[in-house]
Amino acid sequence: MSLMNIADYKRFDVINGRGLRHSIFTSGCTHHCKGCFNAATWNFNYGKPYTEELEEQIIGDLNMPDVQITGLSILGGEPFQNVDGLLRLASRVRNECSGKDIWVWSGYTFEEIIADDNKRKLLSCCDVLIDGKFILEQRNLKLKWRGSNNQRVIDVKESLRTKQAVLMPL
Amino acid sequence: MIVIKRDGSEVAFNQQKIIDAICAAMNSTKKKGDSELAQKIADKVTRKISKLEKVDIEHIQDEVQSALMNSRRKDAAEAYIGYREIRTLKRRERSSLDKKVLGLLELTNEEVLKENSNKDGATIPTQRDLLAGIMAKDFAQTYMIPKRVVGAHNSGDLHFHDQDYSPYFPIYNCMLIDLKGMLENGFKLGNAQIETPKSITTATAITAQIIAQVASHIYGGNTINEIDRILAPYVFESFKKHYRKGLEWLYMLEKDEIEDIDISWENKKLHKKYPRCFEYAKSLTEKETYDAFQSLEYEINTLVSANGQTPFSTFGFGRGLSWAERQIQIAILQNRIRGLGRDGKTAIFPKLIFGLEEGVNLKPGDPNYDIKQLALKCSTLRMYPDIISVPKVKEITGSFKFPMGCRSFLGRYEENGEELHDGRFNMGVVTANLPRIAVKANGSEAAFYRLLDELLEVCKEGLMYRIERLKGVKAKVAPILYMEGAAGSRLQPEDTIDHLLKNGRASISLGYIGIHETMMALYGTCLFDDQELRNKGLQIVQYLSQKAEQWKEETGYGFSLYSTPAESLCYRFCRLDEEKFGRVEGVTDKGYYTNSFHLDVNKKVTPFEKIQFEKDYPQYASGGFITYCEFDSMVNNPEALEAVWDYAYERVPYFGTNTPTDRCLECGFEGEFEATNTGFECPNCGNANPKTSSVIRRCCGYLSEPSQRPFNAGKQKEVLSRVKHM
Ligand code: SF4
Ligand SMILES: [Zn+2]
Repeated sequence: MSLMNIADYKRFDVINGRGLRHSIFTSGCTHHCKGCFNAATWNFNYGKPYTEELEEQIIGDLNMPDVQITGLSILGGEPFQNVDGLLRLASRVRNECSGKDIWVWSGYTFEEIIADDNKRKLLSCCDVLIDGKFILEQRNLKLKWRGSNNQRVIDVKESLRTKQAVLMPL
Repeated sequence: MIVIKRDGSEVAFNQQKIIDAICAAMNSTKKKGDSELAQKIADKVTRKISKLEKVDIEHIQDEVQSALMNSRRKDAAEAYIGYREIRTLKRRERSSLDKKVLGLLELTNEEVLKENSNKDGATIPTQRDLLAGIMAKDFAQTYMIPKRVVGAHNSGDLHFHDQDYSPYFPIYNCMLIDLKGMLENGFKLGNAQIETPKSITTATAITAQIIAQVASHIYGGNTINEIDRILAPYVFESFKKHYRKGLEWLYMLEKDEIEDIDISWENKKLHKKYPRCFEYAKSLTEKETYDAFQSLEYEINTLVSANGQTPFSTFGFGRGLSWAERQIQIAILQNRIRGLGRDGKTAIFPKLIFGLEEGVNLKPGDPNYDIKQLALKCSTLRMYPDIISVPKVKEITGSFKFPMGCRSFLGRYEENGEELHDGRFNMGVVTANLPRIAVKANGSEAAFYRLLDELLEVCKEGLMYRIERLKGVKAKVAPILYMEGAAGSRLQPEDTIDHLLKNGRASISLGYIGIHETMMALYGTCLFDDQELRNKGLQIVQYLSQKAEQWKEETGYGFSLYSTPAESLCYRFCRLDEEKFGRVEGVTDKGYYTNSFHLDVNKKVTPFEKIQFEKDYPQYASGGFITYCEFDSMVNNPEALEAVWDYAYERVPYFGTNTPTDRCLECGFEGEFEATNTGFECPNCGNANPKTSSVIRRCCGYLSEPSQRPFNAGKQKEVLSRVKHM
């Protein structure tokens, strides 16, 4: 039994986050937002098992010498319902990929995440959090890196320090 | 007895006409006429048909033919048959020509109307141009182009480009306009003598006029090579003009006092003395430069050349470091970012190419790094600028210059011991259909190269004819080019242009299409997946390049290998080959052939893999090349584009991104519209009204608006199957 399933691993992503990034999409989400962009990933068994090899590849891809990669993006599903697997990956990135940042997308709000020790641990490995459920009625494709108006792009380090959500200047 | 003619009309029978026809046939032979026999045969024919009340002309001719065959004059029979065949052929040609003209009149001739996505086929000036094109092509094929080449063109072995203009008209393809020489030395435009401009406003206004004039005298694209460097002196002129005003009104100097002052950007002492004047002149000049380039962009987008189209115009810029050059770079980019008109629509022309160079603008700390940032932003929003890697272009083509039109590159050439670029041109292209001979070769490499040699001989004949057609042409046929300096020369009306064609001053290009399909046909697998096949693909292009080089040495003309942009050709060759060979898997089954050395648009690879794959080709195809990658919208993410540009800079000489830059004028969405059966739709608000949508796609090196003017069928298929390289 692997730690978690992966819906997709997309290299050289230009849409999810600033700069040229690699993106991992975890399987499993219980929020079930109406109009979810990727409802197939609600199932925790969707996709392929997360493997040691994939983890090695991600670390290698982030450090590739020829291309300036800005960092790793973690999307879902709901990454914070796959904390155990991601924690390992995120801390390896922290240790082995210097200069690379981590962006994470969640249906939970910042406040919900820091109220839970495990989730908070994963968050503290990240640099940017896009939080909140996708609300179809507030859908807006003009927003940077978000799908609906309620969602926020949060500066994690500042927010954890001041214990309140600090928005990233966009 | 009544005779029914071919058009259905009826005339009385006249035996003399039969006698005349037989005599004519006899006279064209060696044995010459025999009027007695002619009379006899005519009598025989008349007897045979005399019982009929009405007789068809074809029937009479059949009778004449067989009577002649049965006579002792078989030679005359053959002449008669030949004569009939030619007449039939002429009639058929005539009627197909009529059909084309009628198709134009009724706007049903898709092939002619959609050949070029830059023309609005419905307007009268364009219709005149298209009509002239139909006639010119027909005439050229019948009387001018060598027969072997015409045959090869019509069957699809090769493509003799732009027959609607050339060789009927003795004109060439694309060029670098010698704008510098024209502005510095003055020139005549129509009846007016134009002097060296005294401000950037005037300089850009004149530039627009020149571009319009030039575009009417050539059929390909025109480029202003390093426009920032060429127009910078006029920014300094404007600066002086504003400075004088400042001295007069801010410091109350007398007019003759001002006359004596040496005003220049470098005169720091002066600026210390009159600081407010310096600031005033600087800011007014910056504003004037911005406005001047705004007008220039408007002019070019609203111009219609005599060819019935917006001029295919390109600006190359980015290397200048002076304040004036920087202002021009900024003005070009900011205007493009702002967009045209109230709604800020994306300008289609001129094409913008930004030169990237270490020490100039590539890295943080380089003096123009800020302008690179602006160029990145512009490219995410407006697709242009594409980029040129300055060192790579030098390495591959021998010297630095921007391409003529969208991708045609000149080689190195010296005049009086100095490198010369501006004023040079390309004499035209003939493109070889490589996939066809690959299919014919039936898996045999040796057969492929044998067929290739045969095909290249015909290509060469076509290209030599293009040169031949330009030889002896007098300067007066295109005064703007040859007498007023656009082609870098000031000739007398009766002078010939021959010296401009020789010694590699002008290029003449062998084009090629479909390396991908060629490899599929020969080896059955995509060359991307196999290192050995990659080498073989490269070898073909290397072989073509050697041929071009060999022809150059033989003839003294600037033969080069050109990676043809195949707007409608990608579709024509494939269709003809499908008719010939049927559905060949991986070759004819997609409905289009892939451009030159490009990776199949269907192949799912990362942009970095694509660049890595294509990077080895331009060194051989040094007469024309570009590498494209498809991306998702990067409107929010210029940082990502920068990573891609930096990667490309090190590897390929010329690079462009295809990224959705669609805009919804109803809700303000920027990104990619969804293609629907009927057109395009905004994904944010569902708006599908073409009037309030700006949908831009790249077609053949230039941009176009498919929502306003649909692509031809082959192009549409190619666009629909483009895979994003992400
Ligand atoms: S949180 Fe994300 S993955 Fe989960 S339902 Fe909402 S939109 Fe879909
Ligand atoms: Zn909209």
